[in-house]
Amino acid sequence: MQLDRVSVAFGAAVALREACLQIEPGTRLGIVGESGCGKSMLGLCLMGMIPDAGKVSGSIRLNGKELAGAPEHVWRRHRARDVAMIFQEPMAALNPLKRIGDTVMEPLEVHEGLSRSAARARALALFDEVGIPDPDSRLRQYPHEISGGQRQRVLIALALACNPSLLVADEPTTALDANVALRIIDLLVRLSETRNMALVFISHDLAAVARATQQIAVMYGGDIVERGPTAQVLGAPRHPYTIGLLGARPGLDNRGRGPDGRRKRLVTIPGTVPPLFELPAGCRFSGRCTREIASCALQRPQPLALGAGQVAACHLLGQAHAGAGAS
Amino acid sequence: MGYFLFRRTLGFVLTLITVSVVVFAVMNVLPGDPALTILGIEATDEALDNLRRQLGLNDPVHVRYLNWVGGALTGDFGTSHSFRVPVSELIVERLPLTVSLAVSGMVLTIILALTLGIGAAANHGKPGDWGVMFIAQIGIAVPSFWLSILLVLLFAVTLQWLPPGGFPGWSDPVGALRSLVLPTAALALVQGAVLARVTRSSALEVMRLDYVRTARATGFSRQRVLWRHVLPNAMVPIVTIVGLQFASLVTGTIVIENVFYLPGLGRLIFQSISNRDLPTVQALVMLFAAIVVTVNFIVDVLYVLIDPRLKGRN
Amino acid sequence: MARLVVRWPARLPVNLMIGALLVALVVGVAALSLIWTPHDHAAMTIRNRFQPADGVYWLGTDQLGRDIVSQLMVAARNSMTVALVAVLIGGSIGVALGLLASALGGWVEDLIMRVADIGFAFPALLFAIMLSAVFGPSLTIAVAAIAFINIPVFARVARASANQVWTRDFVAAARAAGHGRFAISRDHILPNIAAPVIVQGTIEFAVAILAEAALSYLGLGAQPPSPSWGRMLSEAQTLMFMAPHLAIYPGLCIVIAVLGFSLLGDGLRDITDPRLKRRRA
Repeated sequence: MQLDRVSVAFGAAVALREACLQIEPGTRLGIVGESGCGKSMLGLCLMGMIPDAGKVSGSIRLNGKELAGAPEHVWRRHRARDVAMIFQEPMAALNPLKRIGDTVMEPLEVHEGLSRSAARARALALFDEVGIPDPDSRLRQYPHEISGGQRQRVLIALALACNPSLLVADEPTTALDANVALRIIDLLVRLSETRNMALVFISHDLAAVARATQQIAVMYGGDIVERGPTAQVLGAPRHPYTIGLLGARPGLDNRGRGPDGRRKRLVTIPGTVPPLFELPAGCRFSGRCTREIASCALQRPQPLALGAGQVAACHLLGQAHAGAGAS
Repeated sequence: MGYFLFRRTLGFVLTLITVSVVVFAVMNVLPGDPALTILGIEATDEALDNLRRQLGLNDPVHVRYLNWVGGALTGDFGTSHSFRVPVSELIVERLPLTVSLAVSGMVLTIILALTLGIGAAANHGKPGDWGVMFIAQIGIAVPSFWLSILLVLLFAVTLQWLPPGGFPGWSDPVGALRSLVLPTAALALVQGAVLARVTRSSALEVMRLDYVRTARATGFSRQRVLWRHVLPNAMVPIVTIVGLQFASLVTGTIVIENVFYLPGLGRLIFQSISNRDLPTVQALVMLFAAIVVTVNFIVDVLYVLIDPRLKGRN
Repeated sequence: MARLVVRWPARLPVNLMIGALLVALVVGVAALSLIWTPHDHAAMTIRNRFQPADGVYWLGTDQLGRDIVSQLMVAARNSMTVALVAVLIGGSIGVALGLLASALGGWVEDLIMRVADIGFAFPALLFAIMLSAVFGPSLTIAVAAIAFINIPVFARVARASANQVWTRDFVAAARAAGHGRFAISRDHILPNIAAPVIVQGTIEFAVAILAEAALSYLGLGAQPPSPSWGRMLSEAQTLMFMAPHLAIYPGLCIVIAVLGFSLLGDGLRDITDPRLKRRRA
């Protein structure tokens, strides 16, 4: 799947600005950012499920086929079969009135035309694959009768039902306990590897993304500000926002004392994310950035390749680059 | 589940008893002397005494109440003063027409409300939605008897397709059905307007929920998502309103029978008022109230069937 | 919590404005009929029966030669009076019961609300039928029946709103200051549940107009010669083949009045209940 300069606008509010992404089969891409940065909008873009009021521009290609602006019935043919999605609240995402077996069997019967017994067999296999114990009796239960982690596994089973080549997971672990979340992440990684299925893992949790993905895209205010291999971006962040985001993470290396002997403090990004319709025109991060220069607020920084697959959009990096090239 | 049913059943029985006490009190205690009410002030003392004895008015009030309830439970509602036959006979004779009208009205109401309500919700904010909302808003303000008159003006007086009223009896099935078309339509259009609004807002509420997004993400067609995922979940408030509306459906049936001169229970009740036939009025009011209470009870129990989440709860 | 103190939105909802306009029209006409009608509404001139609409009789005359417009105007006044009296009586009793239930709680609250539930099972029509069978039909009975069905409606609204107010700090402060439950209900709870009660009252006003029309149509409400939209319709129905237009105007009046009050009620709810507004957005 390939996104080229995809933007989503709700009237004057731009929820996503010229996003470019390439998702290769079997790879795992993480999308991180604070709430309201447009990462969920990006996920919905991959499903063709932008709300009616949103205007989509740019190019969304699935296996070479252009889907941007395609009508609902065209998208519908690709959902579940090519791209599937799981959501943050596993309780809310399951129809409370349907037995979970019926929920998972429904796409098999509707999309694949399987008989009830064949669909049942497939559902059992899927439950087994996603690690739901005692699948036989689980099929007959209702969502409110099972735990949050089990519900998320049911949703994953539902998403996998028609063997999609891309799975979009929007904050799949946020509503879960930490240890349950870890097991769900490991499950997603394993499924991606065994099925050669691409995974887009959307989260605000850097540790989760680090564990789940090979590639990462950092978003702020509707822009992808930095992307590249996960280890590279998290290990050597170049964009001031990514640096701030890593600094704001309570982690092991923030503890104790620094080399200067002073107690290390949790570095936070000053200010708060402005509402979508009040975002600055140039770099979205200007106004909060500690290293801001004059052109930041006015001109939009272009993505700049920094080697090793790392790309960041920041005027400072452009200057440094230009300076290096001139000397 | 068992405890829930027990509590609801107990409440249902208590409600029925309370309703019967109210009906009995209003009809027997308020007038002072029912015999005088029935016969009027020009009646002779002898006639009054006879009627008092016939109605059992010389017994104490609680004995009369128990006699009445006991009789009603065994299908004996006393004797109609004006028709001089058992009230139960009058009821059995007229019940089929009233039930046909109420049931066909209810069915048409639900069909109209679900199609229009879900259709409007699916086209939220578009002209179709506005159209349904506009019609529903007007429909709520239109009295059923005026709508009936307008329907009669159009289809009976002007176009002459259907009879303006009256009922030929069940021995003429085609004629009987023809004479039920306009009453059913009048009943359902008004009731349907209220229910369509509820259906729409309930469906809109459900459509915002995550599992509807899941269903869409699973690639189901719009129709499938609407009817298989949204509608069942929207049913709980709809069933509530259907239950609450049943009282107004009963009222509507009584009114409509009088508009179209249909010889059902609703017409009987008005004939009995003009005839000062207290035993018949009392029996019919109790019957209608009991039907409303029973339907509300059934609706309460239906929730549990619709929503599995309630099964485990008390 | 909905409170009477409302910050007025920059733009009033459309339903509120249309509703207010229709209500003003109906109430204005009803008030006008107190001092002026084009003709004497009860004056019969058999010579002038079934007059078409013209400069003298704006909507024509009926089977007894009475002016339609004048009758409609007086009927508006009667309808408003019935609705007002019935809603005021039923509302006062209902609000008092709701406040009592909320103030005392426990089994009193359970009992009052359970009885209110039973009241819901009793349509106004059945109540009017019983009373009419006993006392003979009259407008008083129609008013009593409509007032009666309003009691449980208002009891529910008042109790639900009052229960919310009881949890607030200023009520706790009043209790700490040693005020009794009834004094608090009167001084603190009642003013704060005014908004939902007024909203409900407006909607019930529409219901009452509709109920009065139905009862009068069935002969259980306004008795001749007092004009009523419902009774005008029942008379017009018998003349449908001769003068179909007589069956149009009273019905339109009912629709305008009911629509006006229900739109006004919806609109008032929209601006007084922030919870609902957020859901609509």
